Amino acid sequence: MKYDKFFELAKLAGIEEAELFISQSYNLSFSLFHGEVDNYSSNNGFSIQARGLVNGKFGAASCDVFNKEKAEYLVREIVANAKVIENEDPQIIFHGSPKYKKINTFNPSLEKISVEEKIEKVKGLDAAIRSYDPRIVEVQAVEYSESKSVTTLMNSRGLKLSQKSNYFVVVGVALAMENGQVKSGYDLVLDNDFSKVDIPALGAKIGKKTVEQLGGEPCDSNQYKVVLSPSVVSSFMSALIDSASAEEVQKHSSFFEGKLGSKVASSKITIEDKPLARNVFSKWFDDEGVATSNRAIIKNGVLECYLHNLTTAAKEGVESTGNGHRYGSRIEVGPTFLCLKPGKKSLEELFAEVGNGIYVTEVSGLHAGLNAQSGNFSLQSSGFLIENGKQGRGLDIITVSGNLLDVFKDVETVGGNVEVSPSGTSCPSIIVKELTITGK
Amino acid sequence: MISKKLAIDVLNEALATGADYAEIFYEDSNSYGVSIENGKVETSSSSSMCGAAIRLLKDNQCIYGYTNDLTKKGLLELARSLRASLHGERLITVTKLDMIRAKNRNPIVRSYNDVPRSEKIALIKEGTDYIASLKDPRLVRYIGSFGDNHRFIAVFNSKGKWFKRESEFGRLAFQVVAADQTGFETGFEGPGAQQDISYFHTVVNPVDCAKRAVRVALQNLGAKECPSGKMPVIIGNGWGGVLFHESCGHPLEASAVAKGLSCFAGKEGELIASPLVSAVDDSTMPQAWGSIDIDDEGNLGTKRQLIKNGKLTDFMIDDLNGRRMNREGNGACRRQNYRYIPTSRMSNTYIENGKSTPEEIIAATKLGLYTVGFNGGSVDPSTGEFNFGCSEAYIVRDGKICEPVKGATLIGKGFEILKNIDMVGNDLALGQGMCGASSGSIRTNVGQPTLRISECVVGGRGGELK
Repeated sequence: MKYDKFFELAKLAGIEEAELFISQSYNLSFSLFHGEVDNYSSNNGFSIQARGLVNGKFGAASCDVFNKEKAEYLVREIVANAKVIENEDPQIIFHGSPKYKKINTFNPSLEKISVEEKIEKVKGLDAAIRSYDPRIVEVQAVEYSESKSVTTLMNSRGLKLSQKSNYFVVVGVALAMENGQVKSGYDLVLDNDFSKVDIPALGAKIGKKTVEQLGGEPCDSNQYKVVLSPSVVSSFMSALIDSASAEEVQKHSSFFEGKLGSKVASSKITIEDKPLARNVFSKWFDDEGVATSNRAIIKNGVLECYLHNLTTAAKEGVESTGNGHRYGSRIEVGPTFLCLKPGKKSLEELFAEVGNGIYVTEVSGLHAGLNAQSGNFSLQSSGFLIENGKQGRGLDIITVSGNLLDVFKDVETVGGNVEVSPSGTSCPSIIVKELTITGK
Repeated sequence: MISKKLAIDVLNEALATGADYAEIFYEDSNSYGVSIENGKVETSSSSSMCGAAIRLLKDNQCIYGYTNDLTKKGLLELARSLRASLHGERLITVTKLDMIRAKNRNPIVRSYNDVPRSEKIALIKEGTDYIASLKDPRLVRYIGSFGDNHRFIAVFNSKGKWFKRESEFGRLAFQVVAADQTGFETGFEGPGAQQDISYFHTVVNPVDCAKRAVRVALQNLGAKECPSGKMPVIIGNGWGGVLFHESCGHPLEASAVAKGLSCFAGKEGELIASPLVSAVDDSTMPQAWGSIDIDDEGNLGTKRQLIKNGKLTDFMIDDLNGRRMNREGNGACRRQNYRYIPTSRMSNTYIENGKSTPEEIIAATKLGLYTVGFNGGSVDPSTGEFNFGCSEAYIVRDGKICEPVKGATLIGKGFEILKNIDMVGNDLALGQGMCGASSGSIRTNVGQPTLRISECVVGGRGGELK
């Protein structure tokens, strides 16, 4: 059935303006255990999210099949849902941006490689990890997953936008043991160019990350000068920028309220959202159909802007920044590809600068131990001592506690060791003047 | 719905290349959610989900795929594409499908689909109106929400069996943001049940839920930062069970145990916890949040005694992982929906009652931490390293509950913590959570009586405990 039928039915039912957000995907995944495929799946996914305005209020509904019966379901539910809405914020079905900077996020070469070829290549990761060190006693999993998706937004105001993209992830998880102590480690490659997968290098990286944790003991509980790894910086930066959402600001639940143009971080900190960065995370239109653009959110420590969707922008009489993100039926506000502007120093140079302190490599349990609203965190962490300017012994079972605003205010140096994280960020390490570490 | 005749055709098509088990999982579910922010209905949305998945097993291998095309052509195409991964001779031909009848412990009395939106909204407003009536300027933002889910599944398999399962869930939640010159704090309360809407008027009450969310947010505004270091920790009943869920529950799932990837693999019969600890995973509790009468592969729900007096006695097992363990599945195979490959998961998991009263446990503690509210946590089943964050905690001094503290995170290794439990209370309660793992996000109850850990690492910013 054609989507036009939905718009016809919507009009007949008294829906003033309507919108469909359709995503079609092909997903392939397999996992290997001891070099044998133990899980294999291949699917065609489909989902359709619909919204419509009735008396200026939005009703929403979604489904995963599109036929006459479901089109009627969507229309019926939109009307019934819109009727109970009381919120009076401006609700907008978008007519379109004057100009879109289309960028290509689809790599056709990925689907030309056969599944057998992909399995054959990824299979080698098990041996590559094991060969790194005899203390690696198990490779818990080697997994490959691939997704191709076409996202289409169409509405009753004549806007129709579509973006095709694909990516894959190769991940390996290892287990190392020595003197009864067990440590696990993992790493991954996320890209859409399969030729970039370097199995021996990935295996060695996973092996190193796992084995180097062995022999760790807790450190004394104290305040330490720390180096945060790019992945830890990524988690902290994403949580910090949650508060740059204009929705949070307008609802008085952001610590950035009233801080536009003020210094909110060390002058060494510049954080940009780069939806047009030309990688697998890129989006040239947001989930409301607004053209995206790159922008600095924090520049040299000063808060430059809030991020907007159509509703928050209309409330303030400004233009949307193209940061509308769909979360279920809600359009929230968020960044697309956050980047922390790097400095020049290598990780080793950062260690040398710190002299004595702690290198925090990973934090876990962010959903439970980090409160993005208050900025406070207390997190299970892994890391190493920094002794005499060099990486020292591993740290077994520690927590790192602090406040996000303090972390970014207390940045002494930003490194040059940039890593792109699978959550859609690009960050180097940073040196933070002081954080609370609990060990023994 | 798929007819039995069509199911037989599809199973046989899928089995042609030597699979030793084939299964069709059909799902037709719908859900509704409504949220009220600062007193006004802000979102109201409906969703429907309908699809089918085919799972083929061959020795230790699983081949999986799903489709939204439920026509004969669509299902046969899916069967053919999946069977192409195997290259053997047919082992099984399905000729008939007999129905497995499971006891219906979770009947739908009044379907949420028959409850008008206005009734769900009125329920939330009881709580949000209470918050508004406080007129406390520190309560800058408060959100009340209600969500319900109706789920119908039918499974047909190459053992010549089929069954259906219909279930409904509702969840009421309040989330509060409080602010003053010191900063922001949050409070949350969200009870859920596999029961109809009357549960939220009789067993739990919207005003009480809202009160609790408000109390936690306001209390934490003025609270001191939690001290850090190793200390005795008393963990409150109910949601405190998230400790056991993370530190021990996940490592006892066959998905980790079967491949020897759990810190508890191969330890059946060994003392892995304090003799005071007995724990179960029970999917047969009537109308509980995590209950299922029959699991996603047709094994009946059971009560699994995981630990008895400190000794490891059982695991959560699905048929596929059971193959590596020489065990049959014990009713623990679950998936979020048809898009997820099912595996062994928890249901209602809790530590059983001991003999102490909560008052005795507190009175017996000279200096330590008493944790009452929790945000959740995570674990690495292979190393046993876990964490969980506390939303409400107090210092205990000389056997008395003293000042509240905020920002406490407990960390440790599950197998060490279980041995350090030195007092177990008699006030077992359960708390409702969503548990995320490889087969998606599923409903699980966590639970325990009040208990004490003689020594646990607490992370916080308040310096040394004095």
